[in-house]
Amino acid sequence: MAVAYSLPSDLSPATVTNTSSLLRIIALALISGAAIASRLFAVINFESIIHEFDPWFNYRATKVLAAKGFYEFWNWFDPTAWYPLGRVVGGTIYPGLMATSGVIYNILHALNLPVDIRNICVLLAPGFSAFTAWSTYMFTKELKDESAGLLAAAFIGIVPGYISRSVAGSYDNEAIAIFLLMITFFFWIKALKTGSAFFGTLAALFYFYMVAAWGGYAFITNMIPLHSFALICMGRFSNRLYVAYSSWYAIGTLASMQVPFVGFQPVRTSEHMAALGVFGFLQIVAFAELVRSHVSSKQFQSLLFASVIAMGVLGVAAIGGLTYKGWIAPWTGRFYSLWDTTYAKKYIPIIASVSEHQPTAWPAFFMDLQFLIFVFPAGVVLCFRELRDEHVFVIIYAVVASYFAGVMVRLMLTLTPVVCVASAIAISSLLDTYIDPTEPEVLEENEGRAEPTQAQTATNAASTAVSPKSGSSTGAKKAKKSSPVPPADPISDIMSTVSAAVNPSKKDAKARGIFGLDTRLVVVFNALGMLFFFVLHCTWVTANAYSSPSVVLASQNPDGSQHIIDDFREAYYWLRQNTPEDAVVMSWWDYGYQIAGMADRPTLVDNNTWNNTHIATVGKAMSSSEEVAYPILRKHDVEYVLIIFGGLLGYSGDDINKFLWMVRIAQGVWPDEIQEPNYFTAKGEYKVDEGASPAMKNSLMYKMSYYRFPELFGGNQAVDRVRGQQIPKTGPTLDYLDEAFTSENWIVRIYQVKKEDLLGRDLKSANAFAQGKKRKRARPPTRRKAVAL
Amino acid sequence: MARPKTTVAPSSPPSPALTHAVQSLWKAYNETTSSRLKLIDAFLLFLMLTGVIQFVYCVLVTNFPFNAFLAGFGSCVGQFVLTASLRAQVDPASRTEFKEVSPERAFADFALGSIVLHFFVYNFLG
Amino acid sequence: MLTHPSRDWSASIQFTAMDKRRRCSPCREFDPNFNSVAKAWTKVPAAERNAHFFGTIDFDNATPIFQKLGISSAPVVHVYPAAEGPRRPASGRTGPISYEFTHGFDAAPLAEQLSRFTPVTIPYKAPIDFSQLGTFAAVSLVAAVGIRFIYPVLLNRWTWAAVTVLVSLVMTSGYMFTRIRGMPNSGANGQWIAPGYQNQFGQEVQVVAMIYGSLSAAFLMLILVTPAQLSPSRQRAQVYLWTAVIFIMFSVLISFFKVKNRGYPFKLLF
Repeated sequence: MAVAYSLPSDLSPATVTNTSSLLRIIALALISGAAIASRLFAVINFESIIHEFDPWFNYRATKVLAAKGFYEFWNWFDPTAWYPLGRVVGGTIYPGLMATSGVIYNILHALNLPVDIRNICVLLAPGFSAFTAWSTYMFTKELKDESAGLLAAAFIGIVPGYISRSVAGSYDNEAIAIFLLMITFFFWIKALKTGSAFFGTLAALFYFYMVAAWGGYAFITNMIPLHSFALICMGRFSNRLYVAYSSWYAIGTLASMQVPFVGFQPVRTSEHMAALGVFGFLQIVAFAELVRSHVSSKQFQSLLFASVIAMGVLGVAAIGGLTYKGWIAPWTGRFYSLWDTTYAKKYIPIIASVSEHQPTAWPAFFMDLQFLIFVFPAGVVLCFRELRDEHVFVIIYAVVASYFAGVMVRLMLTLTPVVCVASAIAISSLLDTYIDPTEPEVLEENEGRAEPTQAQTATNAASTAVSPKSGSSTGAKKAKKSSPVPPADPISDIMSTVSAAVNPSKKDAKARGIFGLDTRLVVVFNALGMLFFFVLHCTWVTANAYSSPSVVLASQNPDGSQHIIDDFREAYYWLRQNTPEDAVVMSWWDYGYQIAGMADRPTLVDNNTWNNTHIATVGKAMSSSEEVAYPILRKHDVEYVLIIFGGLLGYSGDDINKFLWMVRIAQGVWPDEIQEPNYFTAKGEYKVDEGASPAMKNSLMYKMSYYRFPELFGGNQAVDRVRGQQIPKTGPTLDYLDEAFTSENWIVRIYQVKKEDLLGRDLKSANAFAQGKKRKRARPPTRRKAVAL
Repeated sequence: MARPKTTVAPSSPPSPALTHAVQSLWKAYNETTSSRLKLIDAFLLFLMLTGVIQFVYCVLVTNFPFNAFLAGFGSCVGQFVLTASLRAQVDPASRTEFKEVSPERAFADFALGSIVLHFFVYNFLG
Repeated sequence: MLTHPSRDWSASIQFTAMDKRRRCSPCREFDPNFNSVAKAWTKVPAAERNAHFFGTIDFDNATPIFQKLGISSAPVVHVYPAAEGPRRPASGRTGPISYEFTHGFDAAPLAEQLSRFTPVTIPYKAPIDFSQLGTFAAVSLVAAVGIRFIYPVLLNRWTWAAVTVLVSLVMTSGYMFTRIRGMPNSGANGQWIAPGYQNQFGQEVQVVAMIYGSLSAAFLMLILVTPAQLSPSRQRAQVYLWTAVIFIMFSVLISFFKVKNRGYPFKLLF
């Protein structure tokens, strides 16, 4: 057998296996290290801090759990959220994340390692990314082999699509959920392969953990039944499938109902009915198979087949009927909006308003997955080539997840693992083919050179015909096959080789291979170059796009050094230090968790958007005039109003840019008081300058944002840097609110709501009176005040 | 699995051919099944009847402690499928499908699954 | 009459321009929908029916009214709430409320929105679309007949592979984005690359899917087809060909991405 390069041949097989397993362990350890390290940009560039919005709530809940124990946490009623309603925290969250960090915290303290709970929370996501890499390795190993597994682990370790949700400090449910997703899928595949109830039970236990940790568990709840159903439809029912699915479903469903937030949903909502239906169908099919094995009568078997179909139809009809009668709840809006993509915009603007629920444009895919995005279809095709039961799973997963990721940006997270797995299969097959040193026998190209080469082939075959499969007979067959092909027609040549390649079973393994060393080098070099480029890309994306805590902003000084903008914390600590502990703070819901977490003050609404009306109330207060808003504020005991304003610094995520959503959500509840078109100019533009519409100019949000803003420019034209518009020189006036605090870069502005006037006057006239006095007494009036009169 | 269900499964009215088929099925079952498997089948039948009784009670009388009903019914169904899995794994006819699961291993799997199942059942009874 | 202060009924008025010369195609599109909702309203009991009215004002018959109300575009729907009586709105507002065409010109959302101003919900039911039903029946009939011929194709795994790969390529090229956002195929001034990282035109889907597809195909060729080629010189040519295709297409893709995301620091060939 010809080889392209020689391998050392004096190694015993035991040495080779031992060395390779040692290398595998080292490689996995290094991958884990890389996965953790690349997530620490945020800690190094900024500090060990919790990021964004939701993590602040998780962090606050974990602190309660660590300080007071699990039972207290379970029964925790939080009176400061959703003032004055309050929130039963224990029953309205997925407790898996907090429980995980609570357990780690207690273990570390039992070992006398006094680690701060904040550091555990910050570093939980990087830590779990190492586990994700390991579980992806195990999963891919089941599909192909160890080398593909290692590639998949390396991909998932550094791919930006997963890093985006798991950098240090993003202490959110997704941090542990992807690990649980992959490990559940791994145990499912394993259970299906071996037909062991043990792995089915393990899959159910990790499924339970997943249910306790993330609302996205519904993805598993539907993926596994879909896979099983596809297998049955392909005629691949086996007792192994029965064992795996039944043990997973029976235990997993009962376990998932232990989580209070899930409750009876697994038997009462449509999202879970697919799993139940497939479970019932599987029982019927299994029973029919058993009967079939005992009776061989043809007539009876066709009767059995018909009755299985009939019972399947009957079961679907029963579920449909129960849904119609209302016993089973129909799909929830969030789930439904995945299929009918216009649904959310029409009926639930609050879901449509969240930025991570927007559809995904292609640059986002490329940014998050880089070259994996086009290698993964190749991997899917390779799965079709093998098409064992577990490959069917990857294929279904790939189709479903790529649809979901296209509909919603945040579901990119569920696409990422399958992309890593499929591309690892493709890349590893490529490397397998081109690193393997054996060369196939040379065959003649055309009839002109047929005779000498044929002779050579024959001698080759004779000399190497150790295995009975290879040899001259196959060679001759090949020769016959290729001889009618005109030599000058490369396309038909390719076509014939394609048809030969896609039928692996008919193929002799020895007849495939690569000639020469240069071909191997160029392909391997190209592949390694792409992998290297991928590493560079991931590092750049992680460092630049995904490592900002968004609580602390960074900008570059002219000399290139970093300048930290810390307005949020400055303002929140001002609230914490200077206001009474029960002072209610109103803000748009985005900042609710941060106010509760950092300033420790009651809020009206927060990021747990469970009460649309309450949010609409805030939206109404923000978008109506002072006179209308004031009674609303007083009724809700609001003492401070907090807004985010980016006009000075050019911070685009501010409240004026979110203002239209406030209007829309308020309009959903009070359609005859708040109307979106009133906030546009006559030409339909969204403007904040001189030409802004009266409703816009009178709205509380506009007034609070630009209050005293023009004064800052000392007589020059005031410019809003986010919207690039000029603000009128005479800024708005406020009668019912007092400016209490404005942060260094004006990003956060806090206003105090005035109490009712002591003399019983309406605040506007009281203000006018006070100003009138002042005018008489003191310096000449500014024009702004004159207008207020 | 449980035998008597065969008389229910075909939805057409009994005809001479059908009764004949059922009889032959019963005969084939009696002849080819080992006594161990018959024991498992008896247990399966018992579990199924228990489940049916609970379900009928739930529909006709009350489902008031719904979690208790779900726990009881779930324990029946769960135990049923675990036992059926065990039956499939030890059945000599389908041994070829389970290369990695020996009968001893199958019983260990069954025991572990049942323990986990009943742990959740106990927790859910309330 | 509508501006009369002691009006205890409400009304929905459609302002339109149906005349052909006005070239108002939205008007012609909307008019039948408005009429079908109005017709549905006639089915409610007389007591409620007389508390709300539907009306149509055409520009060519009533130009002064359009001028008086300052309406410069059509179609417009105004809802005049009752000015007196129990159905007087709490805010005491008597001016017209204009209907938003945010959900398009369809009748169902119109009925739903108007129902907020009527004493009882408008019993509007979407008429059964017979043409769609017919198409569906025809297609399913053809499928049922053709299943014998299609069946071997359905059983072939490569049919499914092609479908799977096509679906994932199209989805990962941002097709859903253009669908949901209703993006045009290309820009107004003939440009086909939408500026900005979070944006794209319909044409980009095709180009990107094509690039992804060719790259995938090149990889598959290298993995599956080239090793099966049994003559060394041809195989060598193929290896170099597909490697070059990968390298060049990837460079094109990177430069395309740089257009979208200007801050991207890497480049290959271009």
